Amino acid sequence: MEFNNNIPIYLQIIDNIKQDIVVGKLKTGQKMPSVRELAGILKVNPNTIQRVYQELDREKITYTKRGMGTYVTEEEKTISSLKEELSKKIILDFVEGMYKLGFSNKKLINTLKEYL
Amino acid sequence: MLTLLKYEIYRRWIWLVLRYAALIIIGAILLNRVSSPAYQYEFIGESIGKFALTSLAIFIIIIVEGINMLKEDLFEECGYLTFTIPKKGRTILASKLLLLLLQLILWTVITIGFGSIFFSKLPYREMVQIETQINFYFLPTVLFILTAFFNFVLMIHFSLTLTKTLLVNKKYSGILSVGIFILLAYLIEKVYYGPFLNQIKHVSMEIGSRSNINLLSGGYTAVFLNVILIAIFFTATAYLLEKKINI
Amino acid sequence: MEQILKATQLSKYFYQKKALDKVDINIEKGKIYGILGPNGGGKSTFLKISAGLLKPSQGEITIDNKEPGVYTKSIVSYLPETNYFYKWMKIKDALNFFKDLYTDFDIEKARESLKFMELEEEEKVTSLSKGMMGRLKLTLALSRKAKLYLLDEPLNGIDPISREKIITSILDSYSEKSSILICSHLIYYIEKLLDYVFFLSEGRIILSGDAEQLRNKRGMSIDKLFQEVF
Repeated sequence: MEFNNNIPIYLQIIDNIKQDIVVGKLKTGQKMPSVRELAGILKVNPNTIQRVYQELDREKITYTKRGMGTYVTEEEKTISSLKEELSKKIILDFVEGMYKLGFSNKKLINTLKEYL
Repeated sequence: MLTLLKYEIYRRWIWLVLRYAALIIIGAILLNRVSSPAYQYEFIGESIGKFALTSLAIFIIIIVEGINMLKEDLFEECGYLTFTIPKKGRTILASKLLLLLLQLILWTVITIGFGSIFFSKLPYREMVQIETQINFYFLPTVLFILTAFFNFVLMIHFSLTLTKTLLVNKKYSGILSVGIFILLAYLIEKVYYGPFLNQIKHVSMEIGSRSNINLLSGGYTAVFLNVILIAIFFTATAYLLEKKINI
Repeated sequence: MEQILKATQLSKYFYQKKALDKVDINIEKGKIYGILGPNGGGKSTFLKISAGLLKPSQGEITIDNKEPGVYTKSIVSYLPETNYFYKWMKIKDALNFFKDLYTDFDIEKARESLKFMELEEEEKVTSLSKGMMGRLKLTLALSRKAKLYLLDEPLNGIDPISREKIITSILDSYSEKSSILICSHLIYYIEKLLDYVFFLSEGRIILSGDAEQLRNKRGMSIDKLFQEVF
């Protein structure tokens, strides 16, 4: 995974994990790598991974069983709302980007239709 | 300390073996030549001379090595290793001095061993002459020489350590070390040995004996003085190594 | 959080030069710290004082609540910039030396690490390249179960392959019970490892903070921030 050192690393990892869950790379109920394992794979500070898991736990995207590990949630609802959240973000970025280029709403929709 | 001693020996064990083997072998060879029935008087003298030179050379090597044992830790990069291991300054110093001491003892035993055999080969008259002169002061003299040279190395160690405490870069360290050493030697001569010699002179005047008074006239007392100096310099150097040096 | 190292108003003077000027640094257990700054800024001096090689001119420093001495040397693993091995050593001699003098040295781990670093035990220390020397020093330093690791410029003069191995090794030796202090001016490669950074220049701390917070607040990498500050 390539990192942009200009933004907090833990946020980037969280985004990445969320994506992996939505696209199915990480299955529901799947066990996540341990803090140390993931830190070693990504070559980042273990405390950063700790933070990532804590944040994901807080958002209920994962849950941690003490002594056993961190698991992806089994709640389908959580995952679909996550999908929504991520897609909203992409759309937001798209729209903002198009606005910057000077597209109006109408032109924006037309260009998109053509593309699809 | 024994661990450190182990490494001081291990790192130079080949040299150590060579050194003493050479001394013993050369001594044996010379002795062998002298023992052949048709000997000549000058021949013994020549052999004794050769052995003495060999012995002296090895002695110098031992002393120089003794000095370098601490010098390299103070002034070279390996000092970073020596002074970050969890051992006290006095332990580090003691391990080096112990090797020096063991070597001096070994050297003395071999040299005197061969020396006495050589002397026993001399014609009877000369042998008796020399014996009466030597026997009287023999043991104190040997001990005095040993302790004096041991102290010599220790004084150089102290000078080097003090230099390292005062100076940070290497530039003037040589000059400063030599300066400190000369100053110490002078002070010891004036303040320490001096009064002692005067005491003896006083005593001898009273007894009305000869004029040739030197340190050795005091017998074991001189040795004792040296031992005190050794204790002083050891403590001082160990203290500096532990508390004051900056590597 | 427990502190393993506490420096209060620590100063070190060399004749006129102030290598360290009233520095306050606290190191907590279980974190990886970066002491970053230009060469000659005081980073090495701080590490050397912590290692017990230099004595402070003023101020205090304690490691595990004790002043630098025999005890602290036994719980601190120091990796200097220099090639500090005795010239007569082979790599296996260095291993045995560490085993004999440090009770927390794990010789099996060291041997595994040597394999990983592609170093042979029979090699003479004097015949090692700069990269190999760097890997050897790190192997020995990290094979100790120390409470505090002090790494002085571990990546200097290291080729890219060795660099990756070194970073992996550092991560492997991380533990919640110990702390790692890395000094470097090559920030780009290590910044992802750091919990907290101190910027040290001309003997003073110019900036310090949690690495992620700094990224957030300043909107730039630690590397860029460093370039900006210096």
